[in-house]
Amino acid sequence: MQSLIKLENVSKIFRLGEIELAVLKEINLEISSGSFVTIMGPSGSGKSTLMYLLGLLDIPSKGRILLEGSDVSKFTEDELAKFRGRKIGFVFQQFNLLPNLTALENVMLPMIFQGIDEDKRKEKALSLLNSLNLDKRINHRPSELSGGEQQRIAIARSLANDPEILIADEPTGNLDSSTGKIIMEIFEKLHSENKKTIIVVTHDPNIARYSKEVINIKDGQIVSNHLASEKVLWK
Amino acid sequence: MKGSFKEYIKIAVKNLKTRKLRSWLTIIGVIIGVFLIVSLISLSEGLKTAVLQQMRMMGKDLVMIIPGDISDLMTTLIGGVELTDDDIRTIKKTEGVDFVVPMIYKAEVMRYKNEKKTVILYGNPWKEALDVYQKDMGWTLKEGRWPIPGKEEIIVGSLVPEEIFPGLKVGTDAVIKGRRFEIVGVLNSLGSKQDDSMIALDLTIFQDITGKREGASMAFAKIKSGYSTDDVVEYIKDNLNETRKRKRGEDSTSFSVLSSEKITKIVGDIMILIEAVIFGFASIAIVVGGIGIMNTMYTSVRERVKEIGIMKAIGAKNSTINLIFLIESGIFGMIGGIGGTLLGVGLAKSIELYLQFHPLFYMKASASPGLITFSLAFSFLVGCASGFFPARSASKLKPVDALRYE
Repeated sequence: MQSLIKLENVSKIFRLGEIELAVLKEINLEISSGSFVTIMGPSGSGKSTLMYLLGLLDIPSKGRILLEGSDVSKFTEDELAKFRGRKIGFVFQQFNLLPNLTALENVMLPMIFQGIDEDKRKEKALSLLNSLNLDKRINHRPSELSGGEQQRIAIARSLANDPEILIADEPTGNLDSSTGKIIMEIFEKLHSENKKTIIVVTHDPNIARYSKEVINIKDGQIVSNHLASEKVLWK
Repeated sequence: MKGSFKEYIKIAVKNLKTRKLRSWLTIIGVIIGVFLIVSLISLSEGLKTAVLQQMRMMGKDLVMIIPGDISDLMTTLIGGVELTDDDIRTIKKTEGVDFVVPMIYKAEVMRYKNEKKTVILYGNPWKEALDVYQKDMGWTLKEGRWPIPGKEEIIVGSLVPEEIFPGLKVGTDAVIKGRRFEIVGVLNSLGSKQDDSMIALDLTIFQDITGKREGASMAFAKIKSGYSTDDVVEYIKDNLNETRKRKRGEDSTSFSVLSSEKITKIVGDIMILIEAVIFGFASIAIVVGGIGIMNTMYTSVRERVKEIGIMKAIGAKNSTINLIFLIESGIFGMIGGIGGTLLGVGLAKSIELYLQFHPLFYMKASASPGLITFSLAFSFLVGCASGFFPARSASKLKPVDALRYE
């Protein structure tokens, strides 16, 4: 499989006054197209920072990140935004839907940013919402919906521009276990049927079970990288 | 991307609607500023037009001689400085002067039927100057006829039968200082309350009943045809200087000789100055409104840090975020501008209407399309300018920091 994202000696250092805090230390990582990866680690391990770097929401302090072979640290902020908009879909623990917009408008928003025509936008958003059984909720605002519904809308939004990569940050963290299961099954299906590359960040081993590959991170370093089937670190 | 712009406007409007109270308060701030500009400018513009129109009634070949310096007009008016008969005679003898019409008035009590009121009597040399009043000073009759020189007849300003002696009629009599006068005519409005309240009678009779024989508050000199106004103005100045120095030994003489053009220019300049001052103060109000917008926008950026992060994560460029916030502040400016303009024009028009029924002076509120376009564009610009820094600070937020913000 082809390498989609490659991290070479990536460090992320935060400066807190006089103190330098290395949240990520010399990370080397390769994520290939079509894979389903879980990044696992306790809180404070640097997994969220790693996710932000993979999602082009941040740039490394040291090292290079290559997206399809090109060095993203050379991109301007607008180029990064364009890449995020087209190639990466985000799903967050807090759902992060815009509260003023309806479900349909939330799903259409990434397409507006890419300048897609209104007709196409609407058609695509409706078909995504339909496929996630949200057709009766299209005109509701996030505050009128359950957590599971909001997360499905967030998934629909992440798929709006047909990105190759989906990045999910604790996608089931705010949901009960049965709803969480539904959400993870959607990711599983997107991986197997739609051939999306999926990166899930979590501290929950039960979530990791859905993925094919698990990267354990601790104190800013990768401590193990193995196939999910090996189940090495599951306790 | 044009289609997207429309969407950004929709998003901006939704954002404003979710913060209704704050949005309206901000807009009210702008409305007040624009309202002040539009109402005050249209009123002062109307006043200017009215005053200049009145000025234009004065003929081109008429020169005005005022005692005292023009730059110190108030002292002259309040201090009662007058032109002496000597002065008048000197002006009369000056080369190029056809004749002189002195302006002479005095307050006296007039009785009409059973009502007594103090009025301003004007002494007019009908015989010499009726022509000048008609042709050069714009006096026209609304009803009745002109008085016959030497007869005890009066004509009255247009406000007299309306306000001072309501129901006063041509052909009836009035009593001043025990002498009976016939009211023979009513003038059309001359454009100022003072002029329209006058009671005009023949100069000789005026001097008889008031006992006022010396001096005039000012005088008009009619210029002979073939002479240039500017030249004659200089001749009059020279002669007056000379007479006064020789006869009274005054070292400094103080009077002003003004052609109608000069007066129009002076008044016009004063009006422009007044307008500029009004505009300056009203602009401050708009700037305050703009600061209100800026304040609201900064608060809004603060509150929406997370939202900005989300939008950036799903592909919004810095310029997009910038644009959305600018549209929001622009909308504040625009709605404020429209509201302020409507209220401003409304107030100006109601004042105009009020003055038609309760004349203090005559004016039309002039809310020109230029003024309206200007105030709309100006308020929109103020909105955008006020939103500039908040929008920039929003667009510069790093997506990671914004997403982590709680």
